[in-house]
Amino acid sequence: MNPRERKGMHRNARFLLCALVAVLALVAAGCGGGNDNNGGGGGNAATGKKGGTLTIVDTAGGVDSLDPGYWYYQTDYLELAQPTQRWLYSWGPTDTKPRPDLAEGMPQVADGGKTLTIKIKQGVKYSPPLQDRTVSSKDIKYAMERCFLPQVGNGYAPVYYSDIVGVKQFQSGKAKEISGIQTPDDATLVLKLAKPVGVLANANALALPCTIPVPKDYAQKYDKGKTSHYGEHQVFTGPYMIQNDGKGNITGYQPAKSLVLVRNPSWDPSTDYRKAYLDKIVEQNGSDATVASRKILTGSHMISGDFAAPPVQVLKSALSSRKDQLSIAPSQGNRFISLNTKVKPFDDVNVRRAVSAITDRNALRLTRGGPALGPTATHFIPPGIPGFEEAGGMKGPGFDFVSNPNGDLAVAQKYMKAAGYKSGKYTGPPVLMVGDNVDPARKTGEAFQHQLAQIGIKLNYRQVPHATMLSKFCGVPKAAVAICPNLGWGKDFFDAQSMIDPVFNGKNIVPVGNANYSQANDPKLNALMDKAEQVIDPAERARLWGEIDKQVTNQAYVVTWLWDNQINLRSSDVNAVRNEFNSSWDLNFTSLK
Amino acid sequence: MTTYIIRRLLWVIVLLFFVSFITFMIFYLFPSADPAALRAGRQPNPELVEQIRHQLGLDKPWYVQYVDYMKGVFLHFDLGYSYQNNISVKTQIFQRLPATISLALGAAVVWLVIGIAVGTISAVRRRSLFDRVSMTGALVGISAPVYWLGLLALYLFANDIGRFKIFPGSGSYVPISQDPAKWFTSLIVPWFVLAAAFAAFYARLLRSNLIDVMSEDYIRTARAKGLSERRVVLRHGIRSAITPIVTAAGLDIGILLGGAILTESVFNIPGIGRLAFDSIQNSDLPMIQGTVLFGAFFIVMANLIVDILYAFIDPRVRY
Repeated sequence: MNPRERKGMHRNARFLLCALVAVLALVAAGCGGGNDNNGGGGGNAATGKKGGTLTIVDTAGGVDSLDPGYWYYQTDYLELAQPTQRWLYSWGPTDTKPRPDLAEGMPQVADGGKTLTIKIKQGVKYSPPLQDRTVSSKDIKYAMERCFLPQVGNGYAPVYYSDIVGVKQFQSGKAKEISGIQTPDDATLVLKLAKPVGVLANANALALPCTIPVPKDYAQKYDKGKTSHYGEHQVFTGPYMIQNDGKGNITGYQPAKSLVLVRNPSWDPSTDYRKAYLDKIVEQNGSDATVASRKILTGSHMISGDFAAPPVQVLKSALSSRKDQLSIAPSQGNRFISLNTKVKPFDDVNVRRAVSAITDRNALRLTRGGPALGPTATHFIPPGIPGFEEAGGMKGPGFDFVSNPNGDLAVAQKYMKAAGYKSGKYTGPPVLMVGDNVDPARKTGEAFQHQLAQIGIKLNYRQVPHATMLSKFCGVPKAAVAICPNLGWGKDFFDAQSMIDPVFNGKNIVPVGNANYSQANDPKLNALMDKAEQVIDPAERARLWGEIDKQVTNQAYVVTWLWDNQINLRSSDVNAVRNEFNSSWDLNFTSLK
Repeated sequence: MTTYIIRRLLWVIVLLFFVSFITFMIFYLFPSADPAALRAGRQPNPELVEQIRHQLGLDKPWYVQYVDYMKGVFLHFDLGYSYQNNISVKTQIFQRLPATISLALGAAVVWLVIGIAVGTISAVRRRSLFDRVSMTGALVGISAPVYWLGLLALYLFANDIGRFKIFPGSGSYVPISQDPAKWFTSLIVPWFVLAAAFAAFYARLLRSNLIDVMSEDYIRTARAKGLSERRVVLRHGIRSAITPIVTAAGLDIGILLGGAILTESVFNIPGIGRLAFDSIQNSDLPMIQGTVLFGAFFIVMANLIVDILYAFIDPRVRY
């Protein structure tokens, strides 16, 4: 999943208060030519000046956790995972496929896809106090196992690693280790699977931070108790480390305030593809968006990090005079509105199609800032993800209820009539919609409310904090919320499974933390997704997930209205390089001019 | 007096219990977020959510959770760990407290000095040019939102984005223990911005009170006894007129010690206010409880100090 999107989902409420809502049409017009899909915001990854200190300015609170087992969000990747750790497979600036990092090469697939063998590089050392110790396969095994510990709180391990033999026994406490993760020697990791898993065979799901090595004998004592404290004592394998006392105690981190990265003395550049030009990186959290944007653009040696989009005036000014300091690129995420298929009238596909048809996607996009924030969507898989073209590309699959970005009343009424509403308008009682209580999401919900009124749908509209919306309403099927207007989803990696499966596969409907917001549960579609999950061939995967996307769009479980862009800023004297996987800057390749 | 203070301190404990209980109930009775679901991430399986719920003790009845929490607070001064980042609540609050204290007390000095001086002069020179200009300025000061004033000050005077690069900009705060000179310069603008509205309000309040007091009989008596006007104003007028100022100052300082969210945000001062705001957004109950308890503690302590000060300022007050 796209960490950026997820972070947005969970945390945007508090950071976007003053940033996006006013980025209106005037700015949008100016942004049209501002897209920078070629990466880097002008930066060059291959060369750079060595040395210096870079400041990352965050408008939000920075990283969510110090624990590699918890890292998942965009800021976690940008500010910690990428610069401080190495894992089995990782992502260079322009990579769209996992790159062997601690692994010697791609997984060797055997036994019909049920056995994966990965050779581990030898000689990669940890930071102090374990500077004399090298990474072994056992450290990766423990890292993957601890991702199932509730103390660590990892959300994606059960999704991608549950078909590893022995996971269920380990999770239930019946086994002390996961038997399907085997380490015949220090240089070999073998994964035994109950069935073929495409995202493991193609290494996508092994390019997540759960494969950052964690030495068991060192970390286990910190993994006890209510929550793990390994993060505050962790050892590093990347070019940088969080400032520490050399005895296993982090000293360079103050939550939501600052984080200081310094060079890792154990890092050997000859074993790594990272360049690591900078000497020191200082992350400064909690700045006001307007002040921070101006500081970065007019200041020196600064880039944006955990950051809401620049406010309208700053963005407008930057687009006219400092365009080369902006990087506007697709985030490989989307924004959508869910329609609960278990709640009337959305149990009727034609009503859902009518809602999709009446949705003025352009108007909704204006509530977040207009075209600069990305193209209006015609289906679920965003640009840049395999399966996007197969699902219809920018034009979409061609259904009349998604083809007009300004909404189409006539088409909407056609579907309402097909649903049995002779007047073309809904005549039932108000339906429950629960959305965000802060801008710009609040404005999106309000705009949608007006659009629905055109086909007679009246709302009981509750506005609550974003975290409440997800964990008490939209993510809880029992709450029976008919419409959730402020949802979004992003990739975990460049594979459509991480986009589609969690949101539309019936097997993922859970009582709490449910991501299948519309409660889509079509047996045929479920079976097709289960089949696609096992496919290893990339082209076939793209074809299948593209086909699933078409079917999902045809069922109108959700109204996908935006394929998000990400806006990054840099000072003029920073040679900033963007990482395509993370849609944000890459500290390993960024340098000072 | 000692008995009175002891009695008030005991009430502080009762009040903090009450505040913590109310906070707890608000979190549980109203639609807050589910910390276990948030902690478990985007696509958790039910087992993981339940394991986390158990791990955090959220599967116990609310009153058991409350008792456990209060036991930790009173027996070990343990405020728990943040649901958001696993860091000790106490550690985070104590890390941020110096910044909030620096901001609040410094601003209090600024607004008290300006407010009392301007209020006094305006009352004594009623209807003068100074009075008219300062009271108009006070009206502007009260009306100007802190957020706007902060941004304006930064655009004018910050050494990074300002037009006149005089004072350190946003994010320049350093603790006094690290560098006293930088600490002082980094807080000059935030102090004045935060103090502006308070100073204006205090000036108007004191002016009004002093005008009333100066027409009292005992002031006339003092003048009749041949005391100088300066002595009459300073020793007899202000001493009586300042009582409401002390009350307001006590409350205001107490509230600000609980966090000045907007000023801390604009100037990126890592204080309690910002921490509290983030915690509420994240439904981080241990952190919310911690910041609320500290805020309440400061408010009741400030009130206690004000009540004690009364005895020294106003001879009629006895405990």
